[in-house]
Amino acid sequence: MQVKRFFEKLIEGFLLISGSITSITILLIVIFLFKEASGLFTTPVVEEGYVLAFNKENPIKHLNAYQIKQIFDSEISNWNEVGGKDMPIEVVRLSDLTNYYTEEELGAEFEHIPAKASELTAKTPGIVLFLPKQYVAKKFDGILLDHETIRPGDFFGGKEWYPTSTPSAQFGLLPLILGTFWVSLGAILLALPFGLAVAVYLAEIASMRVRNVLKPLIELLAGIPSVVYGFFGLVVIVPFLQQTFGLPVGETALAGSIILAIMALPTIITVAEDSMRTVPRAMKEASLALGATHWQTIYKVIVPYAKSGIMSAAVLGIGRAIGETMAVLMVTGNAAVIPHTLLEPVRTIPATIAAELGEAPVGSGHYQALFALGAILFLITMIISISVELISKKKYAK
Amino acid sequence: MLTIDAKNVDFYYSEFHALKNINLEVEKNKVVALIGPSGCGKSTFLRLLNRMNDLIDGTRMTGSVLIEGKDIYAPGIRVDELRKEVGMVFQKPNPFPKSIFENVAYGLRVNGISDKNFIEERVVQSIKSAALWDEVKDKLNKSAFALSGGQQQRLCIARTLAISPKVVLMDEPASALDPISTAKIEELIYELKKDYTIMIVTHNMQQASRVSDKTAYFYLGEMIEYDDTIKIFTNPKELSTQNYITGRFG
Ligand SMILES: Nc1ncnc2c1ncn2[C@@H]1O[C@H](COP(=O)(O)OP(=O)(O)O)[C@@H](O)[C@H]1O
Ligand SMILES: [Mg+2]
Repeated sequence: MQVKRFFEKLIEGFLLISGSITSITILLIVIFLFKEASGLFTTPVVEEGYVLAFNKENPIKHLNAYQIKQIFDSEISNWNEVGGKDMPIEVVRLSDLTNYYTEEELGAEFEHIPAKASELTAKTPGIVLFLPKQYVAKKFDGILLDHETIRPGDFFGGKEWYPTSTPSAQFGLLPLILGTFWVSLGAILLALPFGLAVAVYLAEIASMRVRNVLKPLIELLAGIPSVVYGFFGLVVIVPFLQQTFGLPVGETALAGSIILAIMALPTIITVAEDSMRTVPRAMKEASLALGATHWQTIYKVIVPYAKSGIMSAAVLGIGRAIGETMAVLMVTGNAAVIPHTLLEPVRTIPATIAAELGEAPVGSGHYQALFALGAILFLITMIISISVELISKKKYAK
Repeated sequence: MLTIDAKNVDFYYSEFHALKNINLEVEKNKVVALIGPSGCGKSTFLRLLNRMNDLIDGTRMTGSVLIEGKDIYAPGIRVDELRKEVGMVFQKPNPFPKSIFENVAYGLRVNGISDKNFIEERVVQSIKSAALWDEVKDKLNKSAFALSGGQQQRLCIARTLAISPKVVLMDEPASALDPISTAKIEELIYELKKDYTIMIVTHNMQQASRVSDKTAYFYLGEMIEYDDTIKIFTNPKELSTQNYITGRFG
C-alpha cells in the first residue's frame, strides 16, 4: 500500500516536472529568439571594424543603411538627396586613396594612411570616406559616423535584402515578407476552392466505399516529407511553368504556391470535411423535407452551418503554407526582390533562414537579422493559431 | 380519390424486416394517428411517405405508395417535388440557425420564389396558421434559437405550411414539449385539418384520441388494426390493441 502510494507520488512528480520543463523550454526558446533578434537594432549600420567619415563642414549627422548603400552604388550623388547641402558626393574607399596620393606619400607600410585620410577628409567638402577603424587618426580632422545603428525602420521598411553587401548590409524585411505573403496567398487561393470541393464531395456525395478509400489516402498525403514535394515541384511543376508561360526560369512564386497548395490540401480537406460531417442530421433532414435538393441543402445549410470549421480549415492551411520551408526553398528561385507578379522568383522568410543561417557568423548583424525573421514568423504563426482558437470557440458559443 | 394509399408495403433496413405488408388508406382532410410501442415501425412508415428513408443506405421497399393517385416510388419521380407536397415535422424541433423569418421563407426560396412581397405575405400567413404570430411578430429577425422549445416546434410547423403541402406528417411533434405547448400543438392540428391531410405519430393515447379521426395500431412492423379512432379506443377488434391502449404494455 505504502509502496503503491509512493509510486503514484513519484509519477505525479515526474509528470509535473516534465510538464514544467516543456513549458520552460518553449519559453526559453522564445526568449532566446527575441533576444538575438533585438540585437539587430544595436548593430552598426556600417560594416563591423569600419567607419564612415565626412568633412567637418558637412551638416549630415545620420545616414541610414539604405542611404549608405545608394551612395556607394552611385544611385545618390548629391548630399541634398539625403538632407544635406547641394554638393556632389565624393565616394572614397581605402583603395581609392592611391588616386589622391602616391604610394610613397602613403608609406611603404601604409603608416601614413591615417594622416593622409584625415587630410583628405579635411580638404574635400563632399567626401564620404569608408575606412577601416585601424586607420583612423587619433586627431581625425572630420566627422565620424560610427555610433549609427540599424533602426527598426531599416528592417521593417527596408526594400532590399543584401545581408553581405558593403559598406552597409541591407536587412530589409519587405521583399521577404511580401514573398511569403504572395506565395501563401497564391497557395491558399488555389487550395481553398479545390479543398472545399473535395471536402463537400467526401462529406456529402461520395459513397461510404469511396470515402473509406479516399480519406486515408488524403491523410497519407500529409505525411509525405516536404523535400519530396520540393523534388516533385522541381522536376514537374517548374519546367511546366517555364514552358507554359515562356519564362526565363520556372522557379517562381507560382511554383511555390502550387506546391504549398498541394501540401495544404490534406489539412484543409480533413478539417473542412470533419466540420461538415458534424452538421446535425436534423438540419439536413429539415432542409430536404422542405423540398430542397441535395445541392441546395449543401450550400444553404451544410456549408453555412460548418462555416467556422471551414474557416479554421482555411486558416490552418495558411499556417501550413507560411511556415513551410524546404519545398518552397527548392522551387521559388530564392531571389530576395519584391515581386510584382506570381511569375517572378521570390524568397520567403523560412527559406531565407534555412538558406543563410549556416553562413552567417554567430553574433553578426546578419545572424541577428535572421533571428528577427524567425521572430516575425513566430508572431505570424502565433496570430494564426490564436485566430483558429477564436474561430472554433465561436462555434461552441453558438 | 384517396390522399394516401399504401399497398402491400414491405420495408427492410438491410436484412431487418421493419414493415410487413402494410395497407393503409387515408382520405382527404383527415387526421390519422399512428400508435404502437417503440420500435414497431411508426416512424419508418411515416418517412416512407416523403421518401425520407431514401437517405439511409441499404434500405429496400416493395409494394407501392400513392399520394393523390400518384405512385411516389415510380421511376422519374422528383423527390424534392414530392417533399413539397408532403411536408414533415420532426420529433425534436429543428429550426435552422437563421432568423425566424428566414426559417419560414426557406422552403419558398429553395422553391425558386424570389418575389419579396409574396414571400413576406406567405411567411406571415404561415406563422399565423401555426398560431405563433402573436408571440413572434415583433422579433421576426431574431434567431429562431431564441424561441422556447414549443415555439420552435410551431415555427417548424409554420415552415412546413409555407410550402403549402397537401399532406403534413408529424413524428411525435409534442413529445419533447411541456403540457401547455403540447395543448397548443393539439389545438393547431385541429385547425389545420380543414386544409391539410395529417398523419401524426404519437405515444400519447389521449392525444391520439383527441386529435385524430382514424388510428392505426402498429406492432412489430405489422399494422394490427386500423379503424375510426372512436372504435379503436372504445371497442378494438384485436386483443393486442386493447392491451396497448389500456396501458397493459408498451
Ligand atoms: N436507420 C436504421 N437502420 C436500421 N434499423 C433501423 C433504422 N431506423 C429504425 N430501425 C429499426 O426499425 C424498427 C422501427 O423503427 P422506427 O420506425 O423508428 O420505430 P418507431 O418510430 O415505431 O419507434 C426498429 O426496430 C428500429 O431499430
Ligand atoms: Mg419513432
